[in-house]
Amino acid sequence: MKKKLLSVLLTAAMAAVMLAGCGSNDKTAATGEPAETVTESKAEAPEGETAEDAQLGKIYLVSKGFQHQFWQAVLQGAQEAAAEYGVEIDFQGPDTESDIAQQVNMFNNALNNNPPAIGLAALDTEACLEGITKAQSAGIPIVGFDSGVPGAPEGAIVANASTDNYAAGELAAEETYKLIKETIASAASPVRIGVMNQDATSESITARGSGFVDRIKALIEADGKTVSVEGHDKWVDKADGADVIIDVAVPAQVTAELSSIDAQNLLNKADTICIYASNQHSGEGLVNGDANLGKLGKDIVGIAFDSGALIKSAVKDGRLAGAVTQDPLQIGYKTVELCVKATKGETVSDVDTGCQWYTADNMEDPKIAPNLYD
Amino acid sequence: MKNNKIRKLFKNPVVKAIGTQKLIAFLALISLYVIFGMINPAFRTYSTLVNIFDASYYIGLMAIGVTFAITSDGIDLSIGTVLTCSALVSGCLVTKYNVPIAFGLIICILIGALFGLLNGLMISYMKLPPFIATLGSMMLSKGLGSIFTKAQSITWPQATAEQGWFRCIFKINQNDILIPTGFILLMIMAVLASVLLNKTRPGRYILALGSNSEAARLSGVNVAKWKTLAYVISGTMAGIAGLAYASIYSTILPGGGGGFELDAIAGVVIGGTSMSGGYGTISGTLIGVFIMSILKTGLPFIGLQTHYQQAATGIVLVFAVFMDVLNRRKKN
Repeated sequence: MKKKLLSVLLTAAMAAVMLAGCGSNDKTAATGEPAETVTESKAEAPEGETAEDAQLGKIYLVSKGFQHQFWQAVLQGAQEAAAEYGVEIDFQGPDTESDIAQQVNMFNNALNNNPPAIGLAALDTEACLEGITKAQSAGIPIVGFDSGVPGAPEGAIVANASTDNYAAGELAAEETYKLIKETIASAASPVRIGVMNQDATSESITARGSGFVDRIKALIEADGKTVSVEGHDKWVDKADGADVIIDVAVPAQVTAELSSIDAQNLLNKADTICIYASNQHSGEGLVNGDANLGKLGKDIVGIAFDSGALIKSAVKDGRLAGAVTQDPLQIGYKTVELCVKATKGETVSDVDTGCQWYTADNMEDPKIAPNLYD
Repeated sequence: MKNNKIRKLFKNPVVKAIGTQKLIAFLALISLYVIFGMINPAFRTYSTLVNIFDASYYIGLMAIGVTFAITSDGIDLSIGTVLTCSALVSGCLVTKYNVPIAFGLIICILIGALFGLLNGLMISYMKLPPFIATLGSMMLSKGLGSIFTKAQSITWPQATAEQGWFRCIFKINQNDILIPTGFILLMIMAVLASVLLNKTRPGRYILALGSNSEAARLSGVNVAKWKTLAYVISGTMAGIAGLAYASIYSTILPGGGGGFELDAIAGVVIGGTSMSGGYGTISGTLIGVFIMSILKTGLPFIGLQTHYQQAATGIVLVFAVFMDVLNRRKKN
């Protein structure tokens, strides 16, 4: 009798919790995933809102994660646009930028809610393919942001709001080359340029890596030196006896310790003259990895991407020669804007939110400073 | 003839006193360091040694704590995410709510202890199997950390900042002076833990109940109380490990921590602590942790990327446990 009573009570309790969860519409709903966090933004609709705008359903933005402050800035921009256009957005992201399965789940769940539009920054396009095709056949426009959704089927992605990551990588290469030109020209033995990419699957990272590698290779060869690219299967162009070796390092997982070890590995090689880190995570890995060695800013030129407190202080005190910043606020803003326009049936096209090179000298510039979040 | 000589070596009192598996692990540690150093001279530098130490603090502290849980014939899967949760919550309080850093340090350790207490209560009083209970608290701590910081990462104050002095507990790195103070802390913790486990009453009770819980209970030992203590120690060390991680890597990611517990447990097992409880060695645990640290840091020096380190650790782990199984078979 006691056991039966207990099981009935427990079942009733479970049912009550479920009903309570379903009942509250405007609270953040807890999904089945353990550490998934969802940020909702109820728009402060300005006075005189038209009935049509108020009826627009919730727009979902599935990002690559929340971990790095970069995404906080994107969220801020998105919230600003949501307030201006009077729409509701739901900004989500997986635990880590390695959690492809989690992101696919989030994307599919978002689709099930039949939103007017979805923003997506895919960790891996292939993994999301099923959801993307489903969205396309259901007529839900997808707006890519940051990494976007490269390789998606024709017409599925209506527009992208992102940095031209390849061009950003090229910008980094051009500024870097100015700093290492002399060293390469006067080198008696082969020198090494390290490239730290946090992964080899997402568009933003791979494009920044390729942009850098291609451009600096072209610049070096234009000055008469030979180049060999090695270290990872995605960027390979081996040439024996080259004057400059471009060594690409990709960690097994996107964690601080592994990136730190990648950095230490490159920093410890006797012929390294320069290391480029293609995003905030790798940049922080580079600065952390150098903590005990102290080679950055002295023997080795360091170049990073994005900002954040750690990278900003390293640029300020000279450990990093400089970094490329994106415009995360605009990325978030434009994504929501494009979503709203696409829902209304207006024609939309890609928006390049741009990138800038910053050093200790121009960090405080009014054009650059707002993009340098903490 | 040769067999007899080897058997005599194992019966040697010094070898017996240290413990065969621990001795082999220690020799493996030294040989790894020497071999890597010979293949690549850059490995032998002081800064690389400090790198190896840096990578071992948080795992070493967790491993010391979880040795107690394993010795009590249990397991603690939550230490990795408890590390992250404590570092996230206390870091958030320091950086976003202006709590003074000294309080932040204490809160970090307290959070770890609280999760340890939760584990202990679930296992000792609610009689949940340790695997299940700590799996539950692992997921709980992962979620709570994220909820508290609204899924944002937390970056602890830099060494040069006013609140950054806490980093000196683990490393002094100013004006060309580089001292791995964390190593001293780790050694102190190890000595304290070893004394606690082997020389004090609570420690001996934990060993007893780990070896044979029913016999201990019948002898009048309050099994529930001491088992809870084992998990409180495990959780507290995870909290301290959170500080170590924050000091070395600065940024705590909300999704991180998963997997750390396996590194710590691997270190414990390689060092000779038995998974069936009743025997625990802190010095062995440290040796196991450093073996893994050297592999992690050293494999890139001989040209192998970090994925090889993960495979190598797996092989070393299986080998170490096999040695333990052989040893026990011999004894019986």
